[in-house]
Amino acid sequence: MVRYVARKAIGWLAMIIVATNATFFLASWFLDPRSNYRELRPVRTEDQIAHALAPYGLSPRWSVVHRWWYWLSGVVLHFDWGHSPTGVPVNSEIPRRALVSGQLILLGVVASVVIGVALGVYTASRQYSLADRATQTLSVVLFNVPTVVSALGLVLAAVWLNQRVGTTVLHVAGANTAGVDGTWATILDRANHLILPTVNLTLLGYVGWHLTQRSLLLDALGADFVRTARATGLTRTQAIRRHALRASLIPTATSVAFTIPAVFTGAIITETVFGWEGMGRYFTETIAKNDVDGVVAVAAFGAVATAVGAILSDVATVVLDPRVRVS
Amino acid sequence: MTSPTTPAGKRVLSVRDLTVTFQSERGPVEAVRGVDLDLYAGRTLALVGESGSGKSATATSIIGLLPPGARARGEVLLDGQELLGLDDRRMSAVRGRRVGMVFQDPLSALTPIFAVGRQVADAVRVHSKVSKQAAWRRAVELLDLVGIPRPQLRARDFPHQFSGGMRQRVVIALAIANDPDLIIADEPTTALDVTVQAQILEVLEVAKAETGAAVLLITHDLGVVAGHADEVAVMYAGRVVERAEVGELFATPAMPYTLGLLGSVPSPEATRRLPLVPIEGEPPAPSQRPAGCPFAPRCPLVRDDCRDKEPALTEIRQRHDVACVRAADVLGRRPEDVFARAEEPAVAPAPAAGPVLRVNGLGRTFPVTKGAVLRRRVGTLQAVSGVSFSIRAGETFCLVGESGSGKTTTLLEILRLRPPESGTVEVLGVDVAGLLPAPERRRLRQAVQIVMQDPQGALDPRLPVFELLAEPLRAAGYAAEATRDRVVEVLDLVGLPRDSLDRFPAAFSGGQRQRLTIARALATKPRLLVLDEPVSALDVSVQASVLNLLARLKSQLGLAYLVVAHDLAVVRHIADRIAVMYLGHIVETGGAEELFAQPRHPYTRALLSAVPIPDPERERSRERIVLRGEQRSAANLPAGCVFADRCQLRPTLATDLQELCGTRRPLLEQSGGTTVACHAV
Repeated sequence: MVRYVARKAIGWLAMIIVATNATFFLASWFLDPRSNYRELRPVRTEDQIAHALAPYGLSPRWSVVHRWWYWLSGVVLHFDWGHSPTGVPVNSEIPRRALVSGQLILLGVVASVVIGVALGVYTASRQYSLADRATQTLSVVLFNVPTVVSALGLVLAAVWLNQRVGTTVLHVAGANTAGVDGTWATILDRANHLILPTVNLTLLGYVGWHLTQRSLLLDALGADFVRTARATGLTRTQAIRRHALRASLIPTATSVAFTIPAVFTGAIITETVFGWEGMGRYFTETIAKNDVDGVVAVAAFGAVATAVGAILSDVATVVLDPRVRVS
Repeated sequence: MTSPTTPAGKRVLSVRDLTVTFQSERGPVEAVRGVDLDLYAGRTLALVGESGSGKSATATSIIGLLPPGARARGEVLLDGQELLGLDDRRMSAVRGRRVGMVFQDPLSALTPIFAVGRQVADAVRVHSKVSKQAAWRRAVELLDLVGIPRPQLRARDFPHQFSGGMRQRVVIALAIANDPDLIIADEPTTALDVTVQAQILEVLEVAKAETGAAVLLITHDLGVVAGHADEVAVMYAGRVVERAEVGELFATPAMPYTLGLLGSVPSPEATRRLPLVPIEGEPPAPSQRPAGCPFAPRCPLVRDDCRDKEPALTEIRQRHDVACVRAADVLGRRPEDVFARAEEPAVAPAPAAGPVLRVNGLGRTFPVTKGAVLRRRVGTLQAVSGVSFSIRAGETFCLVGESGSGKTTTLLEILRLRPPESGTVEVLGVDVAGLLPAPERRRLRQAVQIVMQDPQGALDPRLPVFELLAEPLRAAGYAAEATRDRVVEVLDLVGLPRDSLDRFPAAFSGGQRQRLTIARALATKPRLLVLDEPVSALDVSVQASVLNLLARLKSQLGLAYLVVAHDLAVVRHIADRIAVMYLGHIVETGGAEELFAQPRHPYTRALLSAVPIPDPERERSRERIVLRGEQRSAANLPAGCVFADRCQLRPTLATDLQELCGTRRPLLEQSGGTTVACHAV
């Protein structure tokens, strides 16, 4: 098992290196850091701009290969992922933003999976009942609601509630309120800020889990081995729980592992609407600001997260399904 | 053995007036209508019928596993306890404890993610409060009882590591884990090879002896019934139409349907090949049953009053009930007296041309690989080795053998019409390995056509019949006018009405669909038809008419057939020459008559002996060779004879000959009427 994971990890590492370097060249080709200075007043000359960019290894006077080499040696020798065109170090942005995205989205993913899978299991064992039809209709409707609409809807509802009550019951923007002191106060404040975006992510996220888990379990319910299990004397509920459910959870578990990258690469729209400075927003901002180093770092981070998810998903399959042998 | 007196055992189960209703799109449909059954300890009742006759619905309603939406009414008394209407919790106390069930398809009947030992141990623990260790010990005991070698070790293996036959043994172990009073076996051997079928039926007998339970055996195979049932109930359209002791039923059937069933089974022992006696038509769909006797539309003895009222099941002789107003006229008659035997096809004049297909030294291997990312070859699976045969026009050549013997691989290699891995394939005298011009290759493609096993899957459900039949013609470059003429022609040829041209495959019954696939194969005027299990998906009474159709077409059109079939009775009926395959090798080949009359190779003998004969007296008195063990993997062929490890003859041989079997592979040599690859004959 350890050897298997190690072998997988080496394969992924090679992939990450290739993908990251390829991204560097693509980004250098499409993004022009000079434009960040062109809008400034007084107007800078090309010389001045090149001079300003040179300390960050972004000088347009250098060839692409030269810039790449500068960037690569920084990464390899000092683990320095470079700077934005205005001189903000990438290394100072990513860990902070990854944590912000992490706390926001982890909760959303966990809630989505738990609610979605539970609903899927509940409705699959009561196929075509009123509860099944009602939840399915709701899920299909939510499935078709764009994130922006649901997020803004939640904000409007929260604002209305706050006005009715006359005090801020639910925070609608940011990750925390400035100037809150004390452990408990901080925790409560942060938790309050988490509520709305988490609800939004869950509302849109649980749908997929609900519908796939429902159909996976329905497949397993009709399987011959569930009938065999009932023939040995298990009630329907017991047979579903012991035999059908576990078999039907295998595909779910592997896809849950694959959503882990999303936890750290962020949710662009939700972060934007609720004003969270997470990875999702960093991604859009770096592109908008022609921040080559930032874009490459986001890509590398995403690749690592994907690799971790893929390896976790392989491990989950091996653990859950005895038919898969690793050797 | 059966005796005409009342059974000695205690009555375990009595079913009275059982009616099962399913919900369908066309409203409620009655799958079972007023069935009465009695089962006695230590005795086997066989429930015989075709698909849709309600036999499985009867069984599942006894054990309370009807699908949701189905409702059972009537009375099911197990030792006086009413089972119908028990809720799931109380019914589950009966299931597995008092009633065990064996299912049809062992490949899907076991939970794939649990070790088999755990599944059996769980079944023990459902009903008795024993420790995990004790349950595991009991599971190993049970696996040993059902004949799983090295049960101690194998209990830890998962279902996918077992063959179909071994999995069915595990399912039987599950069914008898709590010493039930009743074992229901629903088509327990239908999905298995004949040699494995013989083993499984023996295990069922062991299980019955061990538990003293009553057995309800559901099957469509009259050979299995003849060998293993004490009493038989024949079901048709949801009702029991005839019920008797097994000897009585086979000797003097009193219902035309039973008589027809017996007549339409090809017997593996027939001395001369006559057309089968088919029952015309097909069983009625549950939603469209005729008024009166449901068999009336297919019955040659039908009278006007048959169509008015459905006859009740009445006793005509001691312990022999039948639901037929003409029972007295049927008693004592043979199938051919009642049903019109199809006309014997005129023997086609022997065409002088050379063989249609000649295969020489055909070989095919598959790599056995390991590793997920970097696949590396760790072995070679020798699927087919050195297979040679030729087929002339107007001849039927059958490949027989168990699954894994290389029959289908051989077919596929021929159908590819590409250079084989080793050996040569010649079609119409042309070597397919040569550099052929495109039109020539197209001509060969049209000359070889295939009919598949499952007509349901072989026909595109979204194409009407005309399109289905015109497709191969258009590919062959027929003009619109010629296509239309040819489509009508082949439709007539297979005996389907012309008004079916604009209907979809779903509108046809199984037998008609198989006729469609045959028509489709015939469209481009092929010289060789490759038939892969052509009737195994069909009901017994329908099989006969399709087999007769194939015989007629062969002599009418001078076709050559290459048939793969596992049902040796069917093979016996259609084959001119036969090749028996084992582990990718032909071990014996020869004329059908000679091979069935005097099989020489020990494997052929074992294979033929495993086929049950639909005659209780002979089936029970004959001596049978039951092979030990299972076919080994083709990934590591032995140096000597491929059959040596299971050979029943080898232990009786002289020591030096035994050694020869283990070291040198025998070649095919003429011996008596057939050609055999065996050192000992």
